Amino acid sequence: MLRAARGQHQALRAKRLWNVVVFSVGGVKLAARTEDVEGVSSWAETIPVPSRTPFVQAMLKRDNHVMPVYDLAARLNRVVQGEPLLCLVARHLDGPMAICIDAAMPSLQAVNPASIRPNSSGDIESLGLVTIGAQDVAIVALQRLGR
Amino acid sequence: MSLRGRHNSAGTLVEAASFLVVRLGVNYFALPATGVRGVLTQEETGHEEAVTAAGTVYQPVDLAQRLSVVAKLCGPERRTVLYSTGHSQGAIGVEQVVGLIDIERKDCLPLPSQFQKDERDWFGGMLLHQDQLVLILNLSWVLGELSGGASVPVRLAEQLVEATSASVGGAC
Repeated sequence: MLRAARGQHQALRAKRLWNVVVFSVGGVKLAARTEDVEGVSSWAETIPVPSRTPFVQAMLKRDNHVMPVYDLAARLNRVVQGEPLLCLVARHLDGPMAICIDAAMPSLQAVNPASIRPNSSGDIESLGLVTIGAQDVAIVALQRLGR
Repeated sequence: MSLRGRHNSAGTLVEAASFLVVRLGVNYFALPATGVRGVLTQEETGHEEAVTAAGTVYQPVDLAQRLSVVAKLCGPERRTVLYSTGHSQGAIGVEQVVGLIDIERKDCLPLPSQFQKDERDWFGGMLLHQDQLVLILNLSWVLGELSGGASVPVRLAEQLVEATSASVGGAC
């Protein structure tokens, strides 16, 4: 019975953990909840679109689908690094949205929500700050990026 | 835009929309074909500011400048499209006329909602043609029928698209 209770406790704890994808843009480490990420693939050439929406000025075509591109690097005043660059597809509230990220392969991390602190910098829509590998990392709110 | 019934291979009636596809810089744009009154070469337009055809005066429209697109309007493929919405007319300079296309209305897609500003006035939607992304121009805006500062809010635009789609199908 004691073992069962301990198992339940562990299961509950595991349930409470947030799974995040850790990636980087222009060398800046960022994280996003896995449920907000549709996938990561290689970056492809984008099609510029005349637009006055800040950081939304292109589309990415993949097979028979096109999706808007959010220029997160420009938003952070950075330049994406490495070759080949990667494409993170965000599950945005308005539909899938492509983001160009550094070539460094993203990793998965489990984060205790209790360790998430408010992000007071306000330079990006975020769910808070978390320390990963002695580094403060903003968890980007991909669903409402640019809203 | 031209809408007409067309039978597909299965004999089912499908609604088609007809567009003139043009290129400006790296972008492809679609103009609803019903408003096209003529396509002129550089020699035919001459160096006049406005073009007069069949008694109608078409004032020049600098679409590249209005869209902030870099275009070279001096190449041999440069054409001037004479266009009328019924209310307004204009002579639109383009780098190249790609051609007329008929597409099924279901293949017209709305501009993604992430595009939130003036571009919602500029484009009625988009489509894929021969592997190219083609933006469907809103000719009322192109010809100056819409005031510059009156962008349709995204949510309202979505409601309009939903309402329109529900009644007639598609985004164009």
